[in-house]
Amino acid sequence: MTRALYIFTAAWQGFSRNAVMSVASTVTVALMLLLFAFFAVTDQGLRSAITLLESKVELTTYISDDAKISDILALKARIEKDAAVSRVDYVSKQDALDSLRKLSAGGTLGPIEDIGTNPLPASLEIKLARAQESGRVAEELRGEVGSGVITEVVDNPQIVDQLLTITRVLSIGGIAVLAMMLFVALFVIVNTIRIAVHARRDEIEIMQLVGATDRLIAAPFVLEGMLVGAFGAIVALGGLAVGAGPVTSTLIRFLEILPVTLGPAFVTQLAAGVFLSALLIGAGGASISVRTYLAK
Amino acid sequence: MITLDDVSKRYPNGTYALRDIDLRIDAGEFVFAVGSSGAGKSTLNRLLIREELPTTGRVVVDGQDVARLPRGRVAHLRRKVGIVFQDFKLLQTKTVAENVAFALIVTGHDGKTVREETERALALVGLTQRRGHFPRELSGGEQQRTAIARALVMRPKILVADEPTGNLDPVTTWEIIKLLVRVNELGTTLIVATHNAEIVNALRRRVVHLDHGRIVRDEREGQYAA
Repeated sequence: MTRALYIFTAAWQGFSRNAVMSVASTVTVALMLLLFAFFAVTDQGLRSAITLLESKVELTTYISDDAKISDILALKARIEKDAAVSRVDYVSKQDALDSLRKLSAGGTLGPIEDIGTNPLPASLEIKLARAQESGRVAEELRGEVGSGVITEVVDNPQIVDQLLTITRVLSIGGIAVLAMMLFVALFVIVNTIRIAVHARRDEIEIMQLVGATDRLIAAPFVLEGMLVGAFGAIVALGGLAVGAGPVTSTLIRFLEILPVTLGPAFVTQLAAGVFLSALLIGAGGASISVRTYLAK
Repeated sequence: MITLDDVSKRYPNGTYALRDIDLRIDAGEFVFAVGSSGAGKSTLNRLLIREELPTTGRVVVDGQDVARLPRGRVAHLRRKVGIVFQDFKLLQTKTVAENVAFALIVTGHDGKTVREETERALALVGLTQRRGHFPRELSGGEQQRTAIARALVMRPKILVADEPTGNLDPVTTWEIIKLLVRVNELGTTLIVATHNAEIVNALRRRVVHLDHGRIVRDEREGQYAA
């Protein structure tokens, strides 16, 4: 208890006696965390959009007019078994014609003339669970063109490739930006604690002489680093709470065609993530400073 | 208690602080280490608390080869070897009692032990009445007594005093020396590095004379100069 009290008291004294530096570090860390949180919100919005777009990726397989219904059903069942496929819908010749008529009546297309027969083929509309496998699924089905059931396979590889590129850029860019933010925050804390260590070098020397362990010597500094991180997180989350409304509504307006949601679960996860990152950076940065000093 | 076998300490610039030292100090001894500045007295003290490592040879303190101690065990060695300095090294923001208690707190003792042992050490050095004063409110002698209390509160087997009276007037010097003699009589092994010929000659204890890093004289009831 005495030791724990000493650690807490020394950490708080370190933070409060060096107030200017502590406040400056807290504000810097808060800004980094705020940028980090803002990036996380934006990233979440864009990822929701990408997921939605990916779910829209589909293939259409046109069926020969001469194909037997049993062969069509067998093909449908086979496609459904593919893990990359989420759903397969059979569109009969009549369904296709009805859709065309509906489009025509709605004015989307011009008036269509009744030519007596239905020229539209039946088809299987394939929705994909994994957009990146669209090319493979299409190629496999193209291999069956002319075998009696499939007459043509239509996909849109360009859109899929673009979507995949955006996803990849977001992932790599996100990690890079995140790493940069965290590095800057870590750097700030390392320097703050280095100054605190220097200010208390006499105390450290005495602790070493009387036989305090390195772990106990480091403990108040690590806690002080965590205090800087925690206060920084509180300021950042406060800023986020104030700014979250306008930012998210702008984001949702910007992507209004897409049902982007930042629900309470995401907000809780974000707050916990920001706080935990801040504590870890605080403890890590302080450990680096004090251990470097003690190893001299 | 303390054995140095063929110990040399050479700095990277080639200077020898200690050279070919063979020394054995038994439990309960009172030893003066004398010699001019740069003779190697402080280096000898620093080797005993493993603030420095010997370049060659072996330093054994209470059965432990200090050079072979893992970093994590150095703290435990230092709990057995108390040290006081000429400049006291007190924390100016803490009172006398807090300075003494500090040693126990940072070595993980519980609150009851901290209170009891602090009072015992303060009583031993005669500072119970000054327990609430800050170092700047104390005389040099009182500050040195606080530093001695801080070292003794850990109940060390060995107490190393590096020029403990260097900053003190003659009257206070004798107060401190009498205190150190009393500590030794209570069973603590004492090694006192000093320039003060008067106290060495008056006490007639063992004298180890260092010159340019070598032991040039080791007498049981020695004088400052041969």
